Amino acid sequence: MLLHGTKTKIMINTNCTEDILDEVNELIHAPAMETAVDIRNVTVSFKGKKGVYTAIKDINLAIYKGEIISFIGHSGCGKSTLMNTISGMVKPSKGEVFANGNLIKGPGPDRGVVFQNYSLLPWLSVYKNIKVAVDSVFKQKTHEQKASLIERNLKMVNLWEHRDKLPGHLSGGMKQRVAIARAFAIDPKVLLLDEPFGALDALTKSSMHVELLKMWNLDHREKTVVMVTHDIEEAIFLSDRIVVMNNGPEATIKEIVELHLPRPRNKKNIVHDPAYMEIHDRLLNLLIDKFSIND
Amino acid sequence: MFVSELHVTKINKKHMKSFSIKKSGTDFLYFMLSMCILLGIWALISKITKAEIPGPKSTWLVFKELMAEPFYDRGPNDKGIGNQLMSSLLRVFYGFGLGSLIAIPTGLIMGASKTGMKLLNPLVQILRPVSPLAWFPLGLLAFKSAGGATIFIIAITSLWPTLINTAFGVASIPADHKNVGKVFGFSAWKYLTKIMLPYSLPHIITGLRLSIGVAWMVIVAGEMLSGGVGIGFFVWDSWNGLSLEKILIAILIIGAVGLLLDKFFNSLQNAFAWDKN
Repeated sequence: MLLHGTKTKIMINTNCTEDILDEVNELIHAPAMETAVDIRNVTVSFKGKKGVYTAIKDINLAIYKGEIISFIGHSGCGKSTLMNTISGMVKPSKGEVFANGNLIKGPGPDRGVVFQNYSLLPWLSVYKNIKVAVDSVFKQKTHEQKASLIERNLKMVNLWEHRDKLPGHLSGGMKQRVAIARAFAIDPKVLLLDEPFGALDALTKSSMHVELLKMWNLDHREKTVVMVTHDIEEAIFLSDRIVVMNNGPEATIKEIVELHLPRPRNKKNIVHDPAYMEIHDRLLNLLIDKFSIND
Repeated sequence: MFVSELHVTKINKKHMKSFSIKKSGTDFLYFMLSMCILLGIWALISKITKAEIPGPKSTWLVFKELMAEPFYDRGPNDKGIGNQLMSSLLRVFYGFGLGSLIAIPTGLIMGASKTGMKLLNPLVQILRPVSPLAWFPLGLLAFKSAGGATIFIIAITSLWPTLINTAFGVASIPADHKNVGKVFGFSAWKYLTKIMLPYSLPHIITGLRLSIGVAWMVIVAGEMLSGGVGIGFFVWDSWNGLSLEKILIAILIIGAVGLLLDKFFNSLQNAFAWDKN
């Protein structure tokens, strides 16, 4: 009896602490819900030979500070276009995009970009590829400050010993690590990844996911990461939210899937998590209409 | 994985090296064979024309005579073949250098800006096909000297390949490289020195290689008109002195020097080819 009583007591106690923890959590998370990118009513049309082509239409989306968000959809659904309105490379035909409170008028160093095809300058060594970016963005920093910044970022992606190599002598995964180190080196508030791992094989891809999360963690999860992908597993493993896009033209947001998978996530274990499987199925249903051939 | 990959490329490079030595050996053999074909045809023509066109042997004797004292100087119209060649080369380099100084910046502007291209391209298309000889009187008028006019015609006829190749190189910079400049906020100077020039350098050097070929070709025509000292004048002077051997020697020297100039720019091309290493 007595034993049973104490047990109940403890249980009540733990319940209480959990409630308090929840409240504390909410308090901690409240400032984290600060908006980093605000997409308001954005339509993008291109003038082509066959007239006006509208890629995306009336998109509204708020991206929060410190979250990892993925845009997923079929090829040509306008997900890259949507992201390029954030990077400033594409100007919305209608509507506005704000980053860190400022209206976006063009590309800027507060938004770092990692491209699918790495976009390293082939005539510069790994070190110099990062140096040109750092030199261009941090004009007021001293030579020593810049050198240590480059060194830290190259060491983070384990490429310090390869610093004098030309990009042509690196494998695809190594090139993409250089591109990520370059994007982190300019310390952007928002990091934009345009199908960053699309050209890599499955094994390299997996290790790059872990690499990216490592960098994000080391930065105290302060950077907002926006990623374009067509890989469902990749999106689930990395993201807090997944934006599923309709097929273009005039693409819109079909649904925003929220993920409540705890971090840090384990590449091996996560696939057995029922929540993971549920989300995976849901995304598959959203993206694929036909699962087999109709005979 | 990376280590083994690097290892493989290293082995390949080693292989390539021994392979290229072997290759340059056979290349040399082929070169000598092709020289033999040239000599054979030459001897045959000489025989058919009953030595009206001198054969290799008599030409060789005159060549030895000329090479005995290549740098003699007996007044303005009587100089050694070495002197003639040197003054021609000097003129070519002045003209070619001047032409390149105009061609490269103009090419950069044409390649970088659509307006620049539309504005300058008709000009290029009209001036490019004009023969060097047609420019000569204008040069004489402008520079009041035959030497100045020769350099002028070399410059104006040799600048086109460099100009067109530079413009093409800059215009073909991939969007990926341009995006790097945009995203990281490169200044105009940084864009020029870190993206535009390095990317188009192989194209520019290809242009220069073609240009030096044109410049060397124009020099003979220019010097025939201008007189004075030079390999072109030497050809004309030998014709007036009816020494066909000397003309043939001059032709061979012009060809050999042209080959060397081409080889030099070819090696520059390989040295700056970031895309091939």
